Amino acid sequence: MKRLMLAACMALPLFAAAEPLVPTDDAQVLEILPAAGAARADERRLRRTLARQPLDAQAAVTLARGQLALAHDAGDPRPAGQALAVLQRFGPADTAPPAVVLLRATVLQYLHEFDDAIAQLGRLVQREPRNAQAWLVLATLHRVQGRYTASDAACEGVAAAGASLHAQACRAENDALRGQVDGAVARLQRLAATPRLDGATRNWLLTTVAEAQWRAGRPQAAEVAFAAALRAAPEAYTTLAYADWLIEQDRDAQALALLDALPRNDAVLLRRAIAGARVRAASAEADARELRERIAAANQRPQAQRFHAREQAMAALLLDGDPGRALALARLNLERQREPLDLLVMARAARAARDRDAQREVDALRASIGLHDPRLPALL
Amino acid sequence: MDLTRIVFCFALALGAALPASAHKASDAYLQLRGDARGTELRIDVALRDLDAALDLDADLDGRLTWGEVRAASPAIEAWVRAGVQLEGCPLEPAGQALERRNDGSYAVLTLRSACAMPELPRLRYALMRDLDATHRGLLKIEAPGRAPVLQVLDPATADRASIAPAEPPGASASLVLEGVRHIVGGFDHLLFLLCLMLPAVMRRAPGGGWRPVDRPGQALGPVARIVTAFTLAHSITLGLAATGRVALSPALIEPAIAATIVLAAIDNLRPIFAGRRGLVTFVFGLVHGFGFAGVLGELDLGTVQFAWALLQFNVGLELGQLAVVAAAVGVLYLLRGSPRYPAWAIGGGSALCGVVGALWFVERVSGWPLLPV
Repeated sequence: MKRLMLAACMALPLFAAAEPLVPTDDAQVLEILPAAGAARADERRLRRTLARQPLDAQAAVTLARGQLALAHDAGDPRPAGQALAVLQRFGPADTAPPAVVLLRATVLQYLHEFDDAIAQLGRLVQREPRNAQAWLVLATLHRVQGRYTASDAACEGVAAAGASLHAQACRAENDALRGQVDGAVARLQRLAATPRLDGATRNWLLTTVAEAQWRAGRPQAAEVAFAAALRAAPEAYTTLAYADWLIEQDRDAQALALLDALPRNDAVLLRRAIAGARVRAASAEADARELRERIAAANQRPQAQRFHAREQAMAALLLDGDPGRALALARLNLERQREPLDLLVMARAARAARDRDAQREVDALRASIGLHDPRLPALL
Repeated sequence: MDLTRIVFCFALALGAALPASAHKASDAYLQLRGDARGTELRIDVALRDLDAALDLDADLDGRLTWGEVRAASPAIEAWVRAGVQLEGCPLEPAGQALERRNDGSYAVLTLRSACAMPELPRLRYALMRDLDATHRGLLKIEAPGRAPVLQVLDPATADRASIAPAEPPGASASLVLEGVRHIVGGFDHLLFLLCLMLPAVMRRAPGGGWRPVDRPGQALGPVARIVTAFTLAHSITLGLAATGRVALSPALIEPAIAATIVLAAIDNLRPIFAGRRGLVTFVFGLVHGFGFAGVLGELDLGTVQFAWALLQFNVGLELGQLAVVAAAVGVLYLLRGSPRYPAWAIGGGSALCGVVGALWFVERVSGWPLLPV
């Protein structure tokens, strides 16, 4: 028996880096779980409820919503996968409870399964044409994939469902992407000044303003809007976008300080490594190394690369100085998402790789989706 | 078998096991290996996944302690054995251990059987089914005399036992084409080869200068020698680099490739390698192989069938290379009789190669764009 166990130990660690862990006493902590205390007790209670009644929609939605929030907060996709499992038991979008379908689509969006998310929402708005939230997520998904006309149509769905403020903001965001920046910004700012608006919505409106001002080449106005958005609600999305803006303005130390407040997910680690390298911060090398290890671990699952291609392209370009690989990854990423940043990343990689065909490819894509982003022509 | 009988197989004990931050979807790692005498399956499952399945965190404080994991050890073993089965070969537990990966701590279970490793192993995998929709098992199958195979196991399809492919999968045309495309579009590799081909239709005359070969056969010898040396060499480094055994920065390789062109051009004009042209081509081919590997790294292959992919890509490279060489040597052979061949083709052609190679070198070292390609 002893010989057998020894043989098991001699087996080299599988796949990527794994080190043996040999605990020395019972109190040693081997793993810290993402939620603790009351949240954890609630989670277990809901799990037990669902084990008895797998189709208890209220318990499922409560549990899945908590898991998705956990995934968002920690930048950790695992709870999102668990949320999806709970929601998938309810079957196809035509018959599952609407709240389940909506949350399922939101989880799929988080996991970058955009096509599945759109399919779920398409069924949902047929069943419930006045579901404003469903229309709004649908508009976002079409926008992320560069289909502004389809996004406009979904914005009209938001309006028809009676959510006037969200519908106006939804249209304004598309208008800004098409280059009608001044009108869009004025409308968004007017909406953001609405009295008694909740912080998250005001943050969303002002972040949209900041991004539009940034694209339009008005850095001061962008910074004012970023700061106002973060005062309204310290959302991670806004913090990350503001950090990108600071890095572009060569204010790397400020970007690093800002990123300290965020959990070290891949997107955050990437920016930390980029900004850190530029100011020769002591942490930069460790951050870059950790990011590379994570990328290697994630890429062991075939096809995983296409879900993280944006970050991996940026890492290849800005950390590894490998424009060829960055370009391939940026192109792969554009199959899935087509936000301005996604086109920018490919344009930068194409320029660094001196690949004129790829530059033309980005410009053709920009023209076909109708994106107006003055930062792009400078790179093409 | 429980975790109290854990084996201290490595002297190195990690200090305080600080939690790594998790950042990727849930994967379990499986390794199936064996031969005629027995079969072994090793399964690495994240403690976080085990907690979701088995409530390991007994006191609900959000911290998994060694005491909690040890207490749950029999439950872990039973759960894994229920979720993973090798058809026709009942596996018995043979050990548990723990390991740390960069996204957290994992339990390692080893299962064994005296039955021979099946020719086509069929594994039923249902771990985390209904618990995590994005969970996958990454299975590596190793059998003597066969290339390792990597499979992705989706617990949602656990009813259909997975089958390891007996033959490398088809659809090889795309990677072969990728190889062809890379050599035909890789102007630096082509220029290097062409530069070596320029004198192949001539022979150095005893008193200096050049005279044309009489028969195609006389040109074929040097061409075959050069192509073989180049192919052998770049296959070696392509293999080494693509499998991760050797890693060199493109910042080093790209200028080095440009330098090989310059040196080959100089050798045409004024022999510096004398009779060692085959050997020099081989050494330069090693450098070019690293350049090819960069492309293979860009393709999203994962580790699945990597050796097979590498072979296909290399076949594509060779086909493209042979086509270009055949066309070029054909043209040069027809032109060789012209009295101007030595001056124009060998002299002018080599000088041009040298200048382009030198510009590439400067461009790749400095980062200033000088040439359109």
